[in-house]
Amino acid sequence: MGVTCVAQVPVAEGKSVQQTVEILTRKLELLGAEKQGTFCVDCETYHTAASTMGNQGQTGKLMYVMHNSEYPLSCFALFENGPCLIADANFDILMVKLKGFFQNAKANKIESRGTRYQYCDFLVKVGTVTMGPSARGISVEVEYCPCVIANDCWNLLIEFMQSFMGSHTPGIPSVFGTKHDSIYSPADTMVQYMELFNKIRKQQQVPVAGIR
Amino acid sequence: MAEGVLSPGVNLEAFSQAITAIQALRSSVTRVFDCLKDGMRNKETLEGREKGFVAAFQESLHSVSRDLGELERLSNLVGKPSENHPLHNSGLLSLDPVQDKTPLYSQLLQAYKWSNKLQYHAGLASGLLNQQSLKRSANQMGVSAKRRPKAQPTTLVLPPQYVDDVINRIDRMFPEMSIQLSRPNGTSAMLLVTLGKVLKVIVVMRSLFIDRTIVKGYNENVYTEDGKLDIWSKSNYQVFQKVTDHATTALLHYQLPQMPDVVVRSFMTWLRSYIKLFQAPCQRCGKFLQDGLPPTWRDFRTLEAFHDTCRQ
Repeated sequence: MGVTCVAQVPVAEGKSVQQTVEILTRKLELLGAEKQGTFCVDCETYHTAASTMGNQGQTGKLMYVMHNSEYPLSCFALFENGPCLIADANFDILMVKLKGFFQNAKANKIESRGTRYQYCDFLVKVGTVTMGPSARGISVEVEYCPCVIANDCWNLLIEFMQSFMGSHTPGIPSVFGTKHDSIYSPADTMVQYMELFNKIRKQQQVPVAGIR
Repeated sequence: MAEGVLSPGVNLEAFSQAITAIQALRSSVTRVFDCLKDGMRNKETLEGREKGFVAAFQESLHSVSRDLGELERLSNLVGKPSENHPLHNSGLLSLDPVQDKTPLYSQLLQAYKWSNKLQYHAGLASGLLNQQSLKRSANQMGVSAKRRPKAQPTTLVLPPQYVDDVINRIDRMFPEMSIQLSRPNGTSAMLLVTLGKVLKVIVVMRSLFIDRTIVKGYNENVYTEDGKLDIWSKSNYQVFQKVTDHATTALLHYQLPQMPDVVVRSFMTWLRSYIKLFQAPCQRCGKFLQDGLPPTWRDFRTLEAFHDTCRQ
């Protein structure tokens, strides 16, 4: 487990999502990266049920339950800006039991699927973000495995991302800022995915809101 | 007899027989001294006294030599003892009965002798070279050598306490570096050096000479399944495999046979420069990455970071 940066790459003008993904992966392959199977990160949204809310002014918090194929035996449960819980994979069954407190917003299920590449000590995962049937965007995850301190290797990560993402290289992720010298953990990656998914959801919700 | 040597059961029996023989020998030796102590017994004539004494003395000496002969015969059966061998557990190799097929033990002894001799000659050569050196820096080295007490031990046999002291002093010198010393296999020390949150290094020592080093990632496992330091497997990451290669090069570079503690300290100082392994750009090309690797080389003098291919 190394330091990871998750970023969104905008769809190239006049190209489809699929074509943009292909352009990215071709660049990676030219760089010398090797294909190593596929990956999947998914995220389900839960509302706190109305019956459990005591105060009138209190708004319902959203909870996200996520899975990552890199950690197949784990399940991640996060609140926005809140704590992140890492549990065994059968945490999902527990959530079904807690139906009275947390309700699954099925329509909000979002996931990113794609190919996993390895280049030296880097792991790169280029994925298509889909919500329901439609592709909504492209996610790129870059992990530098040997290093455990986020701020130590940020410059190195940026240099690597520039080599295949060019002008779409992201800025420093917000989770890095709070880490200081502590060890980077898989939960930090999931927080980044959660933020990315929220961003993509909001992008799409603007035109949809008028219809509702 | 040949069978006796080969089969361990008979060998054990030979052992117990040998112990009995030793007891017999001791008692017969005691009898000799008893006989001498008692001197001549009271007899009617002087001649009779002398005769009796000489006969008794002769008889007891005979029994001593008989018992000794018996013990010698048995000791051939028992084979060579391996305890307290200077090579520790490797001395057990000498018990291998098939000498012709696996001459490991004799080769080991040869290598050990050779290495000792090499060490000795290297020490002499370095002393001579220090006296008539051309480089200014080496001259300074010579001066500092004179300032040091001459009693610096140069052989491979150093008291473990001395090694502990040297390592402890180095450990205190660098706050960001923690050194854990253990001796799982006899007197040779093994160090687990943790450098910040960047890397871990396993250092295998023979007295104060570093034999082998392996660099691994901070999050990598350095122990085997049974909880011992894993000194054989290499790192999973290319960057640390590269650093391992460079560290091995550094072992060959830092050589000063008369002052092994200085060598260890220089090596650790050099190793400490890897605290910025992921943060320092290459001093030549100014970049962080080359072929997917950060600058893994550290100059032996200046400790500056370079890519492997940028260092010339």
